[in-house]
Amino acid sequence: MSDIVLQIENLTKTYHLGKQPVKALTDLSLQVNKGEFIAIMGPSGSGKTTLLNVIGCIDKPTSGRVHLDGIEVANTPENKLYKIRQDKMGFIFQSFNLLPYLNARENVELPMESKVASKTERKKRASELLSIVGLSGRENHRPQRLSQGEQQRVAIARALANEPAIILADEPTGNLDSQNKREIIKLLANLNLTRGTTIIMVTHDSQVANHTERMLLLKNGKIVMEKEGLHVAKKQSRCPYCDASIKVGDENCSTCEKALFETDELFVK
Amino acid sequence: MGLVNRAVKNISRRKIRAALVIIALSISLSIMISIPAGLMANQETTNALTNNLSSTITDTSESISQALSQIDVTLSSRFAGFGFRQESSSSAGSPSGQMPPTGQGSDRYGGFGGGDIAGQFGGMSQAGTPMNASLYADINSIKNVATVAAVLEVSEGSKNQTLSMMGQSFSMQITDYIIKGVPLTSELINSYNVLPSNIVKGRNLQSGETGVVLLSQNNSAFFNAGVGDIVSILNVDFTVVGIYEPTSFSDNLVLYMSLLDAQTITDNTDYITSLRVFTTSSNTVDLVVEDIRTLHPEVTVTTGQERLNQLEFMQSRYDETLESAQASLASTQATAIQEIIVVVAATSLIVLFVMLYTVRERTKEIGTLKAIGFSNRTVMAQFILEGLLLSLIAGIVGVVIASFAAPTLSSLLLPSVSSSFGLAAGGGAGGSAVAAVSTVSLNVELVVAALGGAMVLGILGTLYPAWRAAKIRPAEAMRYE
Repeated sequence: MSDIVLQIENLTKTYHLGKQPVKALTDLSLQVNKGEFIAIMGPSGSGKTTLLNVIGCIDKPTSGRVHLDGIEVANTPENKLYKIRQDKMGFIFQSFNLLPYLNARENVELPMESKVASKTERKKRASELLSIVGLSGRENHRPQRLSQGEQQRVAIARALANEPAIILADEPTGNLDSQNKREIIKLLANLNLTRGTTIIMVTHDSQVANHTERMLLLKNGKIVMEKEGLHVAKKQSRCPYCDASIKVGDENCSTCEKALFETDELFVK
Repeated sequence: MGLVNRAVKNISRRKIRAALVIIALSISLSIMISIPAGLMANQETTNALTNNLSSTITDTSESISQALSQIDVTLSSRFAGFGFRQESSSSAGSPSGQMPPTGQGSDRYGGFGGGDIAGQFGGMSQAGTPMNASLYADINSIKNVATVAAVLEVSEGSKNQTLSMMGQSFSMQITDYIIKGVPLTSELINSYNVLPSNIVKGRNLQSGETGVVLLSQNNSAFFNAGVGDIVSILNVDFTVVGIYEPTSFSDNLVLYMSLLDAQTITDNTDYITSLRVFTTSSNTVDLVVEDIRTLHPEVTVTTGQERLNQLEFMQSRYDETLESAQASLASTQATAIQEIIVVVAATSLIVLFVMLYTVRERTKEIGTLKAIGFSNRTVMAQFILEGLLLSLIAGIVGVVIASFAAPTLSSLLLPSVSSSFGLAAGGGAGGSAVAAVSTVSLNVELVVAALGGAMVLGILGTLYPAWRAAKIRPAEAMRYE
């Protein structure tokens, strides 16, 4: 089994706004290994969401190849894509997108519905996943009775439901306050660390991006820069301020005491 | 299953909207139930009317065939009956000198005759000038006479009223009832139609009975008496043995008793007002009439011809009534079909628009479902199920509404057959042919059909919105407002 979970070659996506063709992605190539935690950054209109949609089998590329866990999705017909989304993808959205009339557990069960026949099995797994994201005991709460951070945790549990090859997160912290933002990014980093879940996250928040392994900067539909992130949860790293070594899980540098989460700078290794 | 669970939850999410849709749908459905229910009731009414009229026509036909061999013999009365039978006077075609001794000019307005028609107008001081019973023997001995029924008919009324007519003034009573005494012999009762045949309650008079009376429905109402009750007629008590439904106008006020009783209570011992002569066959009527006129020139002889005319007239009215009822039923059916089409269209549109709105409102949610791996089919099924559930609930509510509002709704929506036949029958058959109006009611088949119809409408109205939902792109989930 290859370590490469996603292989994108010469991907181009052209939209038509009226008669005007708009190139959202131009000749983009990217390789993602299993277990990577990647941040895609860039100004609005740079093509980050389009890229995420193509990877997530929500949009079809105009040209190029997208190899996802051994499947060539660029050639898969529209009416088969839902199956790939169901089997290989987990989505996390900026506004959580929970179904308001279902409780936390039912929301997590949703993707399993056509995959796991047994209702009790679904329930059991949903409860497990909710406890992984730290929501044990809140299974029966409806979204409006959960905080925003908690709602996003439910959404993360839902994304994990079918043990996807890749979790795609579109601005997962965009709607959260700094406290919740920190907790969600820690949760994602932890899942990546402990479960080896591949995560591709679109964000324009450098604080968040800093905690991934790899940061891609998109501009005009192309990857213009690639940097290594700190990923404090996963690896021992060095403080970007004083170059002292940071232990796994540290939120502040133990030497210069600067908060590693509070900066808007992108750290360049 | 998750789909059903979600459909229920989705419906209960927007309670007011769901309630409004259910109300609108259930009203439509109750209309859809009420129309066929009303139609069925109209059908039943028409069928009942048809049966009733058919049997009346049969009865009438029998009466006609019997009437052909009947002759009524009366002494011309001073006042008896006006207007109806001017031509029926025995003297109409006879040479002068045939006027009865009591005649004072008004006799040309007709002998009373105990006929079917004159009874209604017999509101005069006396039903006729009594003739001596010995006349009976003379006529009974005429050749070709099968039998003779001696009849005493006396009108009883209360209020006096003065009537001016053709330059003359008459003191007139409003008739309350007409006493008709007929000989209660088994031969007359069984073989000749001296008694009414249409018994609706109790029984008919029997041979040799006395002290008993058979009332018409009108009499029953007038005396406020039913079968088994005692009624006082001219201060003599009689037991009501039965109530009959008159088959003609003229019978409406007539109560039947034995001839002897009638003679006794009216102080007319040995007197009769008319003889009903039954000839051996209709062919011998003319001969018998001739003989009676020769033998007793002073009496009025009426053949069955007038009766026949009247009966034929009635029969034609029955036919018209039947035709008009059937035509009215046909037009009611056409109206019903149109209304059902309108209601079906309206109901489908309600479901369509509400579901379209719901789909629009839930675009993001549907996008999310598709992003996390729901197939188009599942999304579509979800919406169809929702529409189906909504219409099923509405269907049940509709049945409940219809179960008590169906008569009102159908009478509002459908031209009633009963009203049209009521008019026709009232004019023609004197109410005797008025069938009981069938009431609008629901049956199991109708309820099942309505629920089935509701579900079909639910599916029809949801099909397009559900298809629209299935076509929503999963990228809609990414949209952030």
